[in-house]
Amino acid sequence: MIAFKDLVVSYPGVAHNAVDGVSFVAERGRLTALAGPNGSGKSSIVRALLRRADILRGVATLGRDVGTLSYAELARGIAVVPQREEPAFPVQVREYVALGRYPHLGLWRSPSRDDEAAVAEALAQAGVVDLSDRNTDALSGGEWQRVRIARALAQKAPAIVLDEPTTFLDVAHEMAIFELLFSLARSGLAVLLVSHQLNLVARFADTIVVLDHGRIAISGGPNDVMRADRLESIYEWPVVISRDPAIGAPALVPLRRPLHH
Amino acid sequence: MRRFRSWYWLALGSALLVTAVIAVANGAVAVSIDAVFDALLGRGDPTAIAIVRDLRLPRVALGALVGAGLGASGAALQGALRNPLAEPYLLGVSGGAAVGAVIAFAVGATSDAVITLAGFAGGIAAVFVALGVARVGARTARADVRTLLIAGVIVGAFANAAIMVALANSSPNNIRGALWWMMGSAADATWQRVGWLAVSILFAGGALVYWAREIDVLSLGEDTAASLGVDVERAGRRAFLIAALLAAATVAAAGLIGFVGLVVPHIARAMGLRAHRPLIIASALTAATLVVAADLAARTVAAPTELPLGAITALLGVPFFLIQLRRVA
Amino acid sequence: MFLHVRHRQSYFCLALAIAASACAKTRSEPVAGRDDFGDTIRIAAAPTRIVSLNPATTEILFTLGAGSRIIGRTEYDLWPDSARLIPAMGGGISINVEAVLGARPDLVLLYASAENRSAADRLRAAGINTVSLKVDHIADFRRTTELLGAILHDSARARVVIDSVQRTLDRVRSTTRGAPQPRIFWHIWDSPLITVGSGSFMSELVDIAGATNVYSDINGPSGPISLEDVARRDPDFILAGPIGAAQINGDPRWRIVRAARDKKILVVDTTLVARPAVRLGEAAVSLARLLHPGLVR
Repeated sequence: MIAFKDLVVSYPGVAHNAVDGVSFVAERGRLTALAGPNGSGKSSIVRALLRRADILRGVATLGRDVGTLSYAELARGIAVVPQREEPAFPVQVREYVALGRYPHLGLWRSPSRDDEAAVAEALAQAGVVDLSDRNTDALSGGEWQRVRIARALAQKAPAIVLDEPTTFLDVAHEMAIFELLFSLARSGLAVLLVSHQLNLVARFADTIVVLDHGRIAISGGPNDVMRADRLESIYEWPVVISRDPAIGAPALVPLRRPLHH
Repeated sequence: MRRFRSWYWLALGSALLVTAVIAVANGAVAVSIDAVFDALLGRGDPTAIAIVRDLRLPRVALGALVGAGLGASGAALQGALRNPLAEPYLLGVSGGAAVGAVIAFAVGATSDAVITLAGFAGGIAAVFVALGVARVGARTARADVRTLLIAGVIVGAFANAAIMVALANSSPNNIRGALWWMMGSAADATWQRVGWLAVSILFAGGALVYWAREIDVLSLGEDTAASLGVDVERAGRRAFLIAALLAAATVAAAGLIGFVGLVVPHIARAMGLRAHRPLIIASALTAATLVVAADLAARTVAAPTELPLGAITALLGVPFFLIQLRRVA
Repeated sequence: MFLHVRHRQSYFCLALAIAASACAKTRSEPVAGRDDFGDTIRIAAAPTRIVSLNPATTEILFTLGAGSRIIGRTEYDLWPDSARLIPAMGGGISINVEAVLGARPDLVLLYASAENRSAADRLRAAGINTVSLKVDHIADFRRTTELLGAILHDSARARVVIDSVQRTLDRVRSTTRGAPQPRIFWHIWDSPLITVGSGSFMSELVDIAGATNVYSDINGPSGPISLEDVARRDPDFILAGPIGAAQINGDPRWRIVRAARDKKILVVDTTLVARPAVRLGEAAVSLARLLHPGLVR
């Protein structure tokens, strides 16, 4: 599981902290979602895990303090799917996913049976086996996202972190990804998902942590978090929470506010 | 996409060998093929032996090594920088090396060893200055790719200014020597230069091949590479420095030879190579063949005048950019 | 000493000539014509503050006794020794027009190369007499000396200088004509390897000194040439300056050229043959001595 305790993340040259004392836990077997308005610090938490942003105070742990782990150990402990990234040169999907074994193989070791099995499993879990021979520049948006998740799964880490995995995806693909993440969580992984899609998160996540200006504004299960009064002040927009029995989870509906001229 | 077959390696190696043989067997003096082979073994007419062993052979060897260095450097940089237009003279290497050599020319220290050393030192110095500029310029302590590239441009611009100042008050002979050096040539090949270059290429090229898989991961994207456990800044800096060292060594040995490091990795990729270990090696082989062929053209096409090698390789650029243009449009 | 009748006659003629030219000296006849940029020359009085940015013209001026009138030279004008006392105004590649103007010359002599075109224009625009000359051939030396002599109102002395040089050249030519003419390669520079073709005074000197240039098929200074080509042309001798000779001796690749293998390298005094000026005669003599030892005094 991934635990954050009083995490403070800052960027040099910026006055206030991006993340200002955040504590929460992403448990194994659970889907934990990190939500909040733009600039609330969600992505900064992911970057801190990737060691691409400086942790000023506080700690992120993966059993041990993440700062004490080597780069390879960290990559074996957490697999991260960052916001959308394209390789500079097209690669075959199979080769791309196979690079997920890099934290285990290093510079020189050849893939063993176990490595090949891990890649095959990852392709199967992400549902992209039939795409194995295609090139990465010949995939649709949804296919590409699933391939990226497959790469992270190939790392065989007990925790997986995804940063906005469904931007630019249409309904079908978005639902497919969320179902995939849900099933991954149920299969035992600790899944930490950064998403601003509160409604989908409310339907799939076990725990939701809502950030506001670098701090936790509200956290808990979907029913605890989806409250109109709290969310209105966080998002600074009038909302209404609707509960449609067909959906089974609270849904956030923003109200119209005509523009003043 | 094409699949790279194993027999392609044989083809690449043979192409290099055949081109080298043709290059050794041709020149201003007509030497028959049998005489060439005899000369290689030390038999026959002493003039022919001298021509083949002391003139053509080191020249072909130098050309091949220069090509290998540029091809490997270009392939590694394109992967590490995630940019298909990256080439070995980024980070101000060419500018710095030229400054070193031109200053040597300007002060009249024109001995072979001094010019070579000055060029190499200038190239390496430029890279470190670029790294320093990037670190100071960026607000973070991390010198990321974009900052490095801009720093390289700055260093290059400064180098050009320095060259102009140095040449402004030089004697005509020194100016001509400096210009000739900057246009690139394998004409001053001696076995010492070849040996020195071979050692540099062995070490730096070997290092690139060693870290090739890291470049594979880097080329996926900075955050993706970080998530796979790569220290992105450190790995990037390492790749830049080794590639720059290779480039500086080739510049010191043969002046500025453009476009080879840019175009050849694309040729290697078009053959179906993606992983950087085989890509770097194939780029080295292909570029070696190309430079040997270009050098042959440089000394035979407009005989008795020798054309600068850099001019012939620059002609490579035209079809390459036309193809790129069509791809983009 | 041996005052033959003929000699007495020639001395009389000479005295007349000098008297006549002395009269010519006092007449202030303006010099008119065009220089090698096609610009008009019109110089009335003999100039007294001359900037000579060309080693050839500097030498000629000194020989014409006008050395004391030179107030500026290039860095490379080093003969005669007294020339070194004159302030240098740049390297002659790019002319610092301001510096030249600041010296207030009444005549500026330039080498008529493309890069000096604009400097010449600007000096003329500032009202200074500027004469740009291409001094590349022996014929150029003759006409430059004549022109400078006319400008200094001392044509007689110019004539003497020209005749003396010409006599030496003719003497060398006739002495070496009968001897076998060796084929030579003139090594000018190493990186890149450059030689002279026909069409420069150096090639003319080679001709006069009784040899042939293996690169006479090229016109003018050569571009970079390959060592193999030199080997193919197989010269009997290599002419080189001291630095060039050392480079050739130290470079194993030169072994492909027979003349280098047999150590047939003739070291030339490069200062002597650097420009077609008053020491052309000496240059021809020294070259002839190298090529035909014992033949020329």
